[in-house]
Parts: sequence; structure tokens; C-alpha cells
Amino acid sequence: MDKNIGIYICTGCGIGDMLDCDPIAEMASDEYSVSICKNHPFLCGAEGVDLIKKDIEGEGVNTIIIAACSPRVNYDVFDFGQDKIIERVNFREHVAWSQAEKDENTQMLAEDYIKMACAKIGRTDLPEPFKAEEEYSKDILVVGGGVAGMTAALETAKAGYNAILVEKDPKLGGFLAKMKKNVTLPYKDISDTGAEAMIKAVSDNPKIKVYTSAAVEKISGGPGIFSVEIKANGNSATERAGAIVQATGWVPYDANKLGHLGYGKFKNVITNVEMEEMAAAGKITRPSDGKDVKNVLFIQCAGSRDPEHLPYCSSSCCLVSMKQATYVKEQNPEAVNYILYKDIRTVGQSEDFYRKAQMDGNVFIRGSVEEVGESGGNLYVSANDELLGEKIKIEELDLVVLAVGMVPRSLPAEIPKIKAPSDSKEADADGMIEVKPDSGFFATSALNLAYRQGPELPTLKYGFPDSHFICFPYETRRTGIYSAGCIRRPMEVGKAKDDATGAAMKAIQCIEATSIGMAVHPRAGDISYPEFNMSRCTQCKRCTEECPFGAINEDEKGNPLPSPTRCRRCGTCMGACPERIISFKNYSVGMIGDMLKAVSVPEEDEEKPRVIVFVCENDAYPAVDMAGIKKMNWSPYVRFVPVRCLGSIALVWVADALARGIDGLLFMGCRHGDDYQCHFVKGSELANTRLSKVSETLDRLSLESDRVKFIEVGITDCDKVPAIISEFMETIESVGPNPYKGW
Amino acid sequence: MADVQTTNQSILVVGGGISGITTALEAAEAGYDVVLLEKNPYLGGRVTQLHQYFPKLCPPSCGLEINFKRLKANPRIRFFTMAEVAGISGKEGDYDVKVKISPRYVNEKCTGCGKCAEACTAEVDNPFNYGMDKIKAAYLPHGFAFPMRYVLDPSIVGTDDGKKCKDACQYDAIDLDMKETSFDLKAGAIVWATGWNPYDAAKVEYYGFGENKNVITNVMMERMASMNGPTGGKIVRPSDGKEIKNIAFIQCAGSRDENHLAYCSGICCVASLKQTRYIREQYPDCEVTVFFIDIRALDRLEDFYTMVKEDQKVKFIKSKIATITEDGATGNLVLEGENTNTGEQIKATFDMVVLATGMAPNSIKSVCSADVSCDEYGFIANDPAKAGIYGAGCARRPTDVASSVQDATSSALRAIQSIARR
Amino acid sequence: MAGNYDPSFAKEVFDNVDSGEEIKMCMQCGICAGSCPLRHEMDYPPRQIFTLIRAGRRDEVMNSKAIKLCTSCYRCKVRCPRGIPVIDVMHGLAHYGIKKGIIPRKGTAAFGGEFWKMIYNIGRIDEKTLPLKYNLLEGLVPGIKSTIEMAPMGIQMFLHHRMKLLPERKIKGIKELRKMLDKAKEMGKGGAN
Repeated sequence: MDKNIGIYICTGCGIGDMLDCDPIAEMASDEYSVSICKNHPFLCGAEGVDLIKKDIEGEGVNTIIIAACSPRVNYDVFDFGQDKIIERVNFREHVAWSQAEKDENTQMLAEDYIKMACAKIGRTDLPEPFKAEEEYSKDILVVGGGVAGMTAALETAKAGYNAILVEKDPKLGGFLAKMKKNVTLPYKDISDTGAEAMIKAVSDNPKIKVYTSAAVEKISGGPGIFSVEIKANGNSATERAGAIVQATGWVPYDANKLGHLGYGKFKNVITNVEMEEMAAAGKITRPSDGKDVKNVLFIQCAGSRDPEHLPYCSSSCCLVSMKQATYVKEQNPEAVNYILYKDIRTVGQSEDFYRKAQMDGNVFIRGSVEEVGESGGNLYVSANDELLGEKIKIEELDLVVLAVGMVPRSLPAEIPKIKAPSDSKEADADGMIEVKPDSGFFATSALNLAYRQGPELPTLKYGFPDSHFICFPYETRRTGIYSAGCIRRPMEVGKAKDDATGAAMKAIQCIEATSIGMAVHPRAGDISYPEFNMSRCTQCKRCTEECPFGAINEDEKGNPLPSPTRCRRCGTCMGACPERIISFKNYSVGMIGDMLKAVSVPEEDEEKPRVIVFVCENDAYPAVDMAGIKKMNWSPYVRFVPVRCLGSIALVWVADALARGIDGLLFMGCRHGDDYQCHFVKGSELANTRLSKVSETLDRLSLESDRVKFIEVGITDCDKVPAIISEFMETIESVGPNPYKGW
Repeated sequence: MADVQTTNQSILVVGGGISGITTALEAAEAGYDVVLLEKNPYLGGRVTQLHQYFPKLCPPSCGLEINFKRLKANPRIRFFTMAEVAGISGKEGDYDVKVKISPRYVNEKCTGCGKCAEACTAEVDNPFNYGMDKIKAAYLPHGFAFPMRYVLDPSIVGTDDGKKCKDACQYDAIDLDMKETSFDLKAGAIVWATGWNPYDAAKVEYYGFGENKNVITNVMMERMASMNGPTGGKIVRPSDGKEIKNIAFIQCAGSRDENHLAYCSGICCVASLKQTRYIREQYPDCEVTVFFIDIRALDRLEDFYTMVKEDQKVKFIKSKIATITEDGATGNLVLEGENTNTGEQIKATFDMVVLATGMAPNSIKSVCSADVSCDEYGFIANDPAKAGIYGAGCARRPTDVASSVQDATSSALRAIQSIARR
Repeated sequence: MAGNYDPSFAKEVFDNVDSGEEIKMCMQCGICAGSCPLRHEMDYPPRQIFTLIRAGRRDEVMNSKAIKLCTSCYRCKVRCPRGIPVIDVMHGLAHYGIKKGIIPRKGTAAFGGEFWKMIYNIGRIDEKTLPLKYNLLEGLVPGIKSTIEMAPMGIQMFLHHRMKLLPERKIKGIKELRKMLDKAKEMGKGGAN
């Protein structure tokens, strides 16, 4: 598009007191041939906005630079339509509120920001949404036909979409169908599982296509255009889907590892799953002789909350044992249930069910098991009763039920290994290392994604393919694929239903967004996407390796094969590419490069250093804003450059900036490591890694490595921002001016 | 407000906390029109008052920033602050809702420049910090407030201070004649995400909250640890501002208790565990004691409990503390109870005590004449036979942020189904 | 040596003791123990009594001091988060003990006896003579010694008008009161003796 630029400077909120606007207009006109540059004392007021609108209509302005408050505010006021390029320059928080009044340096700062904006829009085009060649599918593939999978399919259908349900067993229902009763909201009593009705509802629903005795053999494509190969009862079928819900559920923790609790040794020691199946089949009896049961003891946390077995809590076992105690009492009101526990964890309204279980006369004993043994054909349990403060022995037990926890079905039986890099210290004798849980190669086969980064959803440390984010529990590292139910985290039936409904929501949303070329979370609504100039590709594979979302496959020669519908628009690939072949219409290596070039670099003898601070636009940028709102001050020699994610930074920026005489570069990104806060998973970590390798470049230029620094800045670190900057400025002062100035 | 165009294809979300925002965004990003109402002058609700989330110890404003960005980018959501539902009638697919907007005394011309606050001399209790400090009567509710627009406390309307604020504003943004207004909406489905209030700790009279100055609640501790809190993030004793050496947490203060809240609020255990981290990070020598009945750190949150237990300075004692007595001279607190593991009497002195109070739901019943079921505690029951109005997050069950967001996402789909059924 | 669990005593308590079934609801929080003003006198606070019942420790429970010490101050009952009428259970247990012929703590029984006698005789309690009479049950010398030990309390009570120097007189209508007491005794519920 032919850009007709208008610059509008707001002089309100104290900006006018700080700056001379006329020289800025002059500069813009001289250096960037901008003919329209206007001031207004209240640009966000009706009159100010009209001023811009009139120029749009009368003068054909289509590219608008607004130098006023932070882009985080007045986003709606300064929205002039999708067909305009709008660039906001933060004169208020980053200049007027944080710098000295009518100072030469403040003026230079403001002028630089305008120059950078002009340079930026020079390289900005209006993005056009991506449209795949294939027709988009709006159907949802659900893998797993247990309670979560059936719910996802039913809820999808209820919202008017089709679902394809793939279940490995001959019959739908999963664990739900094996249960006698359920306990859920309002937790007053046990209730019917509703499994049969649910299976019927799924089977009868014309919007749901069910494959039983089936497995997904291969999934290729991406959101909107998934191609799914299914093998069912020996026959192959291909389906198309727009999004996927993985609800492959859980398996009970292997009780054979719980020999110390008598499992495998005594027939009358069973798991809670075996107890449930026995109850559902009709009658609870002693497995050893089929006789009636009168005394039953439940061992809670059997293998759970145990560093030797499952370190986590499966969160539903307390309720399950209380439910099963109810079965025993219903069968024989004289029966006695002992529940040996560490902590009773009946959260929320489910505390009511604990009360019911107490009212029923079940005996709750807080303590730990010492021994499970047999005497005279009956079991006994010795335990340490914490509240009695004694060792106790409970005898004449007919049944001991081990409340074993849930293991996600994604957890592989054996941790897969790959060939270790030559410098690895953890390699075994054969030179192999274990695959990390957060890799898509870790999990047990369920989806078989034809993705370069592995066939399955990456998982967290216990094998749960859950989100790492508290505020975004459906965040996924494989776009359009959402996990739900006990595969995601251990949960009870009611919560699995809610969870599956939420996953169906996300799947539908992904389909709708994809169909109009929009990104999903966290850049929801973004229609830009990376384009690859393949003629200059050197097949280095960095983009395919580093994409946090597995959006880029590669051909056998190592050429990247991007799948834009899988893309989350973070720009990590752009930062990874040494050849600068990846760019967005409105975000590119060249664009930021030009912004850096626009920064004026005073001569060495002026003693005005220049520092560029790259800030993550989600966290560090608001932190800087907040420091401005608090009227904190910082050096007028720094220029902030917001980036989509630090993962998108290109090392060429460092080289170019330093070669021009910029004295230092500071990178403010999110916390990384185990508790990473980067919303693009690995962005800040990758930036840190890349920057650690920058010393090579610096050496080549004979520059000090202190000139480039990465620092973690959280959104609430606004109080620290000025101090971080001061400290860096001191460093720059101590290493002295960049010798490349004026070259 | 007359320009609110709604139909029976619109979704109304009541409550602009993390659950309500999530429901609104999830539905809008799937292509549905949403109206979001929030009673506070800002969006974000209770989580904006938290210092960090467990177990990652990350700031809530980070996720809120993304959500606000999503909201700004999405023209399908209309939101209103200082808005409350005055009445609901009708049925699934066809609700009539009356909305009441309280006067903010600041109009949309506000630029957030802060001149009114500079001019204002009157101060009021700061509701954002649970009254632990004062704030100017013309104020921005908090640093990250979205929308970034000032509010005038009604107490200065008609006073000199009110006039001073008005005169200080260069943008004619202060309107002292603003009155409560109301408007009507149509909606096909309603998601009730009004969240919770901290249970009133003063009702647990044996803990002397309100009388014993150094007894605070868990929500107050969040403010105290927060950099935009009353102490700038430093945890100190309220009575004398001294550093702390020995602090106690009392779990289930009014929870799992038939005299107060019979249910378990589900989050207070891990919230206290989290707060032990705040303290231990600020005070490498501070002793911490957690008095509990059961520690309820569900699923992978158990790891967090394991981590805290490794801290030698944090002790766990199974006891429901029976009395707190203040030593008038020092402000120290003597706690008495029974250590139920050893059977020994506890009589121990602490310089500060945190009551882990639970969540009381903001009920729908008082404003809703449409058919909706609540349980005996006031939580919405989401009875499948009464579709159309859905509870989400802590309006439905007391729970943590991740579960609330998950629940809010499922509520968005339920609301969409109510419309799709029409 | 591990103590064996025996559910039969719990059942006995549920079936026979006033409000006995309510103790099923105990979640062992310990607030009853912490709230009891006599907790320092009790061998087992209420929570532990409930634990012992659960474990089937009949002797420890029935012979405990605790179940006969309750003064009905209601703190535990008011505060119990599970709504257990702790007082009723403690009295119920004491009562059940008597029914079963388990003699209550000697001192308490003797005091109760003197208390009852005095009420029956004059219709009210004389704060001077009651402790004196009770103390003398120990024998003359220790009795006087115990009484002298209590003198400071007596002086305080006198200064606060809680005790007169002159002996208390019989109340009006003593005959009617005695009829009531006789009837109560007959009903077997009115007192320990």
C-alpha cells in the first residue's frame, strides 16, 4: 500500500511541558518526508480524534503515528480501522513522566522515538490472514472414549459441531463404565454413574461418529486441516478434523510395586480399582474364599504422596474410599470400615461427603502403615496411629483396599532414550540419555502426530500433558490439541466432565479462529503470520528445532515446511534464522534493524551513550509503563524496543547496533527455567542461550561482553526497572564508549 | 448506556474477575457477542489483590495483561465497570436483565493523568488494601487498574475537595452530577461469575480479629506482600511496623466449621504454604508455624507442600488453635490449643498471626427471579434441568485460579449451547 | 507391642451414652481440648476421649478423670466445628460409668456428697463450711491444712462480697425444695449421689 503518513503528537498529560513539538515536526518532514505532523492538547478527546479522522478522510492519511500515551491505553479511541497502519509512540509513560523537563536529552529521546516509529512503519505492511489451500474442517477429533472423551464429544455436538470419537476398547465408557456408583456435586451421597445413558447418548447422536477398538495411527496437518488415519477393528479409515481433544485418561498405579502393603502376597489385599469392579459386578467378597466381608480397611495414599512411587496426590482417592466404604455398609450395615489416612482431602463442598462417611460410622485413623500381615486366614494391619500416639493393630480384616493413585496414560512404561550429545555428562554407557518429559517424544503413543518435534503432546514432569500456566489451563504446546480429564491432571468424574467441556470450547474456538486466519492464545486475533523466503534457506534447521509449538516440519533435505495454522506468531523462528528469511508483514528482522538504525548516535566527545533495551511486550513493557506511571526516572540515553517475545530477537541486531556505535544492549525478558513465565514457553530461554553465544560476535568486533546483557523482568518488577537501567548505565560508563561511534 | 445492543443471541457474564473475564473471552473468541459486568471500578476481581499465584509464585498481573490485551483486541465484548445486576427474569434463550451502574464521577474523558488525586486532600480507607491504608478520595484503584481511569469516592461529592478535583482536571473528565443509572439487556444465556468474599474473620470471635492488631487474614497478607500494597511489599507487624521473627498460620479459620462455613475452601492450605514462602524470602531467620487439621494440597500441588516441608524454619502442627490472647505491652499473641499429634497443650507466643479464612460465595438468589438452583451454601448448583444460567468459578465451588479458569471455559461453551439451542 | 483396635466399645457408647453417636463426627481438630478451662486437670481432653473410644479403650475412657470434670461451660460445644455436643457426651459417659458401677473419682464423689447434703439441709451453699467439711473428710490435720491454704481465696471472696462471715441460713420453703430433690433422686437423673 502507498503510505500516507500523519504524525499526531498529544501535548496533554504533561507531554507539552516536557517537549518542543515543532522541531520534531521539522525533523519528520526533513528526514522522513512526513507532511502532516500535528499537535493537540487532548488527542484522545473527541476533538483530537476528529482531527485525525478529518486527515484520514480529507488528506488520505492511512498510516498514523500517534505520539501520546502508552499503547496499553486508549486502544479503542485510536482505532481507525483494519485498513490503517497505526503506530503508537509512548511519549507519556516513557518520556514525559519519566524524564527531565525541557531537557536536551529528553528532546533527543522523543525525536529518536519518532524516528524509530517512522523507520518501523516504513517496513510495516497490513497483514492479510492466512488461508490454507485445503478446505477447513470444523469437526473435532476426540481421542479416548471415557467420561472425559464422551463429554467432549457430547458437548461439541450440543454446540452444533461434529465429533469423531476414537476409543481403544470395544466399548465406550472407560473407567466410568466400570464404576458401581459415583460421588460428585452436591456430594451428599453416592449417585448413579450415568455411564450407560451417556454411552447411549454418544452412540445415538448423529453428530458423533464413533470408532471403537480403534487407534489413531497418524495425524498430519494442523488446526483446521488435520488429517487423521484411524485403524479400527483392523480396518483403516481417514478423517479430517479441525481440532483435537486428547482424553486418553489414566491407569492405576501398579500395585505390584506395593508389596510392602501386602499386594500380590495376600489375596485379600486389593486395589481400589479392583474393589470398584467387584462392587459393580454385584457383591464385595473376600477374594481368597468368596466369603462375606465384615471388616474392611482402606489404606489411603497407597503409593501416593510417596517419593518412592507417585510423589503427587491423586486428589480423588479419599472420596473413592469413602464411597466404597458406603458400598460395604450398604451390603452389611454391621460391617466396619477403617480408613487409614495421611490427610483427608475432601475439598470444597465434598467435605459434606466426609461428614456423611463419618456419620455412617466409618473409622478414620490418621497414621501410617507398619505392616500388613495375615493370621488365621484373616488380614491384620499394624499402624502408627498418630492421634492415639501409639502403635496399633487392627485384626480380623476380611479385606484391605489400597487406594492407589492415577498415572496418566501418557506416561511411558519405560522412559525413552535418545543418543546423547557428545558433551553430555548424563549419558549412559551406550552414550544414550533419557528423553525429557517436555519433549513430544516422551509420551506413550496416542496421537502419533507427524510433527518434527515428536508424535505426542509434551508433558510435565509426571507425564501429564497439562498446561504450565495457572491463568491458562488450556494452554497447549501443540496448537489446536487440548488435553482433558485425568490425562491432564488427576481428577474426579465431575471435574473431568467440566474439564472436557472446557477443552471442547477451546477446540471449537480454535476452529473458528483458524478458519478466518486468526491466531489463538496468547496472540488471539492476530492475523499476521511468518513467511519464509525459501530461496535463501540454508537448511540449518534452527527454526524447526526452536519453534516452541512444533509448527514447522522439515523435508528430508532439511527445508522447513511451516504449518501456519499451528503457528502462534511469537516470532521465535524469525529470531532463530541466521539468514533472516522469516518475516511477518508487520514484524521482521529488517524492521527492527531499521529502527535501530534510526536511533541517533552522538559523537563520543558528547558523552551521551546510547543503549537499546529490548522488552517483552507482555511483561517487561507494562513494567516500564508502570514505572512511568509512578513517575520514576531513568536514563534519557535508553531507547525501548518492544518485541513480541524475546524468542524473536535476532543476533544480527546486536551486531548491527554495536557496529553503529550503540554502547550497550539490554534484554528484558520473562523468567525462564522450571517455573518459566514466558507465554511462548521457551522464548526468553532461547534468547538467553543465543545471547550467551554473542561473545563470539563481540570478540570479532573487539568489544566487551558487558555491553550485552539479558535480565529477567517480571510484570510487577516496575520498581526495579530504573535501578536495572542505572546499573547497566554504570556498566556502560565503566567500559567506556563504543569505539565504533562515528564509523 | 443506551447504546448497548443486545439480543437473545448475546451472552451475559456477571463478574469481571478471572472467571468472568475468561468466560467472556472464550465465548467472544469463538465468535459470540458478550456483555461483561463488573461491580468494581476495574476488571480483574480478587486476583488483582493477590501478590503471587501458587505454585509458580508468579504475579497475577502477567496473565491479566494478556487477558486485557485479548479483550482490547476483541470487538465482540462490551464491558461495564461499577455495574451490578439489579434483576433477572425470563428463561433460557430469553432473559431480561436490569443493570445498575453506580456513579464513578469520572467520565470517559479521563486520561489517567492523576491531577485530580494531586488536588484532592481528603483520604478514605483503601478498599483495595482491605482498609490497611488510606488513599486519596480521587484515586486510581491500583497501579495496573484496567481500565486506567480514576474514581471519586462519593464522600467528596458536594464538598470542596470534589470541586478541587473538578477544577484540577484539564479534560473535563470529572462529573460531580453523575447519578446512578440503569439499563436493560437481553441475553440468551447468563454466566454468573461473581466470585467470593473473604469470610468475615471477626465472626470467629475466639481469634480476636479486629481487636488483636497483629492478627490478620490471608487476603491481607497478600496485600502486604505485594509491591503495590500498604507496606510496599514489606511484611511487617501492623501494630508497630516491626519486622517479624515468629509467625503463625491458623488454617480453617471459620472453614470446615458448621458454625461458620461448613465446607472446605480448598485453596487456603496451599495459599498459606505460598505465604510461608513470601515470609521466608523476606526473613531468612523467621520461624513459621502452620496449625492445621488436614493439609490439602491436591494433585501436583503436593510438590509445593513437599518443598515447603523441606524448609527447617517452617513447622506444621496439627491443631485447631482455640484462643489467641494479645499481650497488651508487646502486641505479641499467645496461642493456645492442643497439639493433637502429641496430646500436649500448646501455649506459644508469636509476633503475628495469619488467619486462613475461606471463601463465601456472592450469591445470585437476591437478584434473580429466573429459575436457578443454589446449594445450601449459596453456590450455584448448575442443575442440568435448569439450563440457561450457569455458575462459573468460585460462584459455583470454592476453588483455585486454574480450576476457576477451567470452569469458566466450560461455562462459555454451556452458554453457547444455550444460544445454539434456540 | 501394638494395642488392638476393638470397635465394640464404640458401638457400646453409640448405643448407650447420651449423644454418644455424635462423636463419630469428630475430625480430631482439638479445639475442644484447647478451649476447655479445665484442660490442665484432665488426663484426656475430649478429643482424646473420642480417639480412645474409637480405638476401643474401654478402661482408659471409663476410668478417666476427664469425663467427670466437665463444668458445662459450653465452650467446647459452642466451638466444635462438627457440632458435637461435647458436654452432653462427657456427662453421658460419666453417667454411663455410674450406671455400670464405675465409681467416679473419689474426691469429686465426696465433694458431690457434701454439696448435696448441704443443699438438702439449708437449701443453699455456704462458701465457708462446704470446703471445710469437704477438707475434713481427709482427716483433721490435713483438713485444717488444706483449709488454711485456701484462706487467701476466702479473703478475696469476702472482699468481693462473694462470701459472708456469718453462717448462711436456711432458705424459705426448704420443705418444698427437699420434695423436689427427693423426686429428682427417685427419678435417678438428678445427681450423682
